[in-house]
Amino acid sequence: MSEYDYEALGLVAGLEIHQQLDTATKLFCNCPTALREPDDAERTFTRYLHPTKSELGEIDEAALEESRVDREFEYLAYDTTCLVEEDDEPPHRIDEEALDVTLEIAQLLDMDVVDQGHVMRKIVVDGSNTSGFQRSMLIAGDGVIETSDGPVGVEDLLLEEESAQRVAETEDGVRYSLDRLGIPLVEIGTKPDISSPEQAREAAERIGMLLRSTGHVKRGLGTIRQDLNVSIEDGARVEMKGVQSLDDIDDLVRNEVRRQVELLDIRDELEARNASVGESQDVSDVFEDTDSGVIAGALNGGGSVQAVPLYGFDGLVGREIQPDRRLGTELSDHAKRHGAGGIFHTDELPAYGVTEVEVEALRDAVGAGEDDAVALVADDSETAAMAIEAVVERAKTAMDGVPEETRGANDDGTTRYLRPLPGAARMYPETDVPPVEPDVTEVEQPELLTEKVERYQADFGLDEGLANQVAYGQRWGLFEEAVDTGVDASLAAGTLESTVTELRRDEVPVENLTDDHFRGLFALLADGDLAKEGVPDLLAALAENPSLTPEEAAEQEDLGSAGEDEVREAIAEVVDRNAEQVETEGMGAFSALMGECMGALRGKADGDVVSDVLREEIQKRAN
Amino acid sequence: MNAGDRVRVERASETYEGVLLPSSTPESLVVKLDGGYNVGIDREAADVEVLENDVYDVESAQADQQSSAIEFDEDLPTISLISTGGTIASTVDYRTGAVTAQFDAEDVLRAVPDLAGMANYRGRVVANILSENMNPAIWQDLAAAIEEEIEAGADGIVVMHGTDTMQFSASAMAFMLDTPVPIVFTGSQRSADRPSSDNVMNAVCSVEAAKSDAAEVMVCMHATESDDVCALHRGTRVRKNHTSRRDAFETVGAEPLGEVDYESGEVTFRRDYQERGAVELDADTDLETDVELLKFTPGTDIALLETVADKEGIVIEGTGLGHVNTDWIDRLDEVVDSGTTVVMTSQCLEGRVCDRVYDTGRDLIDAGVVEGEDMLPGTAKVKLMWALANAESVTETMQTSLAGEIQDRSVPWT
Repeated sequence: MSEYDYEALGLVAGLEIHQQLDTATKLFCNCPTALREPDDAERTFTRYLHPTKSELGEIDEAALEESRVDREFEYLAYDTTCLVEEDDEPPHRIDEEALDVTLEIAQLLDMDVVDQGHVMRKIVVDGSNTSGFQRSMLIAGDGVIETSDGPVGVEDLLLEEESAQRVAETEDGVRYSLDRLGIPLVEIGTKPDISSPEQAREAAERIGMLLRSTGHVKRGLGTIRQDLNVSIEDGARVEMKGVQSLDDIDDLVRNEVRRQVELLDIRDELEARNASVGESQDVSDVFEDTDSGVIAGALNGGGSVQAVPLYGFDGLVGREIQPDRRLGTELSDHAKRHGAGGIFHTDELPAYGVTEVEVEALRDAVGAGEDDAVALVADDSETAAMAIEAVVERAKTAMDGVPEETRGANDDGTTRYLRPLPGAARMYPETDVPPVEPDVTEVEQPELLTEKVERYQADFGLDEGLANQVAYGQRWGLFEEAVDTGVDASLAAGTLESTVTELRRDEVPVENLTDDHFRGLFALLADGDLAKEGVPDLLAALAENPSLTPEEAAEQEDLGSAGEDEVREAIAEVVDRNAEQVETEGMGAFSALMGECMGALRGKADGDVVSDVLREEIQKRAN
Repeated sequence: MNAGDRVRVERASETYEGVLLPSSTPESLVVKLDGGYNVGIDREAADVEVLENDVYDVESAQADQQSSAIEFDEDLPTISLISTGGTIASTVDYRTGAVTAQFDAEDVLRAVPDLAGMANYRGRVVANILSENMNPAIWQDLAAAIEEEIEAGADGIVVMHGTDTMQFSASAMAFMLDTPVPIVFTGSQRSADRPSSDNVMNAVCSVEAAKSDAAEVMVCMHATESDDVCALHRGTRVRKNHTSRRDAFETVGAEPLGEVDYESGEVTFRRDYQERGAVELDADTDLETDVELLKFTPGTDIALLETVADKEGIVIEGTGLGHVNTDWIDRLDEVVDSGTTVVMTSQCLEGRVCDRVYDTGRDLIDAGVVEGEDMLPGTAKVKLMWALANAESVTETMQTSLAGEIQDRSVPWT
């Protein structure tokens, strides 16, 4: 992909980052912030939602639109959820721990904290909140982070409740799981100060690092979500949701810039061609005897084929605007949003079983000439009619340039149409929770992960790679505890990072290892009750039997650190067994026997000690 | 600077721009920012500039008196919606932040558009109070209003009422009125200003119940935490048994009288009920309000009994089968002798009072205390008010079922 001159294009981008906090309890009740499997649900119940008015008398159009679809929401409840998540009990006071972590984040982002935070109800009637709103509070504004391309302003920091997890579509609506609902979530919105794809990624990485530095954010899939806002001059603001990985951010920006550039180019071309969008009409007759499976399927099922002539669009519907995505794909996205499977258009036909003859007949039927394109939808009649109108609307928009919209990130760095941008004015005060007055004087600034990396190298002599692994990993707290109790820093770091990684590669279920397992293991090391050689076996044993304590596992695996007598005895045995070799090779037998000795001691003795003793023993025989 | 003005507030290095809200206090300015968030800003530290006056007319925006066009349909029954206030007809008071009732019955139609097409509606406001402020005088107003509505042709009555004291008002109507049409009380446990409010389903199901064949005073509220079925409880047997759940209301000592399916609108009954038109409309709304309900628990000071000794009637919520500390019995004897009717009920709620099992009970009967059978204590209080004003023999009336408040047979599973 050729790089654009982003400055010349007037690229403006902003980030919105949502991060779950790792607190003991939820934001508005005392339930744990634990995720559950839907199969563990103990009860279910169903609800409907109805739109309401704000305190300024306004009703949100998007919310109203959504609610017209009469959908039933089913909720899964667990032994880890309570009536608050079910919207059957008023929220408790805001969780102090979550507030403290948020204030720490505000400090790290150099933000101004509000005098008084008011919990608001952000109306959401898709069922993802049992109440019909998400509780959200503005905690701070006007911060800044540094990137190598200059500072990026931080617009706001919100503390809010996480929504319920969508589990499945049901016959009448949607099924949600209540375990996630109410987990504290911070939302950080940057100012639109980002001016290149690389800066977008760097800003996201920087914010991610700052968040992790608090040591109180959730880790793992789905615990952090990035949204991207991108526009270029003459283009439009497009919000991209559901960005899964930091690595995708620069590609998404690049691809969106390309999309907007191409759409503007298409607009200019359409204008030059004096293009227009015709009326949609039923063209089922054209396909009476078609070999196209999709079209025949729709017609045989009693459906119809709807088509629209796009005058002056020839060749442009098939124009690529993102990798493997065309203007036609955009039309198709809109058709899909209205329930259709997709569209066909003449820039890609004949294909998919549609013949040259049929294409000609289609052009004739709708009055499209060779400079024109035709788009068609085959489905049940109602869906086809609605979908073709959506195609008509999107095609008309192509003549205006780039539409403002919300798009979903695809895995390959491209995006797809989701819905129009949400409107503002859907905020009501949450009267059940009194305002809070944050006290920033109590907040301590945590050490940044970047600072940790430097300290681990300087103070503990870790190499940069391992220092990075530990600091950015999930167990730096355990590492620091271990070092405090006297465990060698390299050993502690290696145990937590490389050893665990190696065991995972060997398909040991390391996800079963708890913080307490590691704490116990480090205590054994610190007290000399475990040799470092025994660490992998002990971890493997604990992973296989998580209910064991490290002491029990050490005993079970016979990993207690061997005393000097035991070591000498074992080594003497090995040397005796290999007396002939020792006699002929002398110290030359050392390497071969070292392995055997370590094996005999099965991780119970330190390699240095074994080596010393073995040398002595060989020396003895050689004499 | 007034609520509704667009303001710019400078505070230290931070600048806030937005609309000043009426929820501001002497200490804090509350500003709605353009993103929709409210923030409180320390008034003393703030430097305020009014950018534009009255960008929002906060008062009228909240009231929003657009009239709803309601057309009369001859084929539909006429249901009278009577509002007494409460959560179902409430909106948030953004001055205090509390939920207050400020809707009339017309507003309910506007708030619950789902009611349209189910019936022709008459709207009426008897009171606009929080239900904790309900009192016997309003019961009398309510009974009179219901009588007038039925006389005017209402085929059913829906009373919108705060949930806290709904069971008392329902009992009062049950004793005061002989009704040829259904009288259905409903409300909401979760305020009407939230999309998840139970008000829509409760209102819809209540109208279905009011159109049904059961000329009873009933309470219609969620049967479970799901939006699927409303239970119909007999007004004299129902109790609010949870502070916040949607299905807080339960029939004590029996299954609910019936239920309404939200989706189909079908109304079904488990037991016999008084049919529509079975009795002539009649209202006896006199009440002797000089009645108290007294709960006895270990350590309760007998001085509490003294404070009500001169009342016309006392309902005691005793322990177990219907007991109080034996030290109280002599004094109760004197109270009864002085002309006060004393009725014994049980704080067990479930089950029947029986003062013939233990000595304490037998002594209470000897002292002239009336056994309240399996009546709920709250219902017994309302009934005693009515009986003292209307019945020839108060004792006999208190032990006879007038409106299903006493069950002859203890069969709670039915």
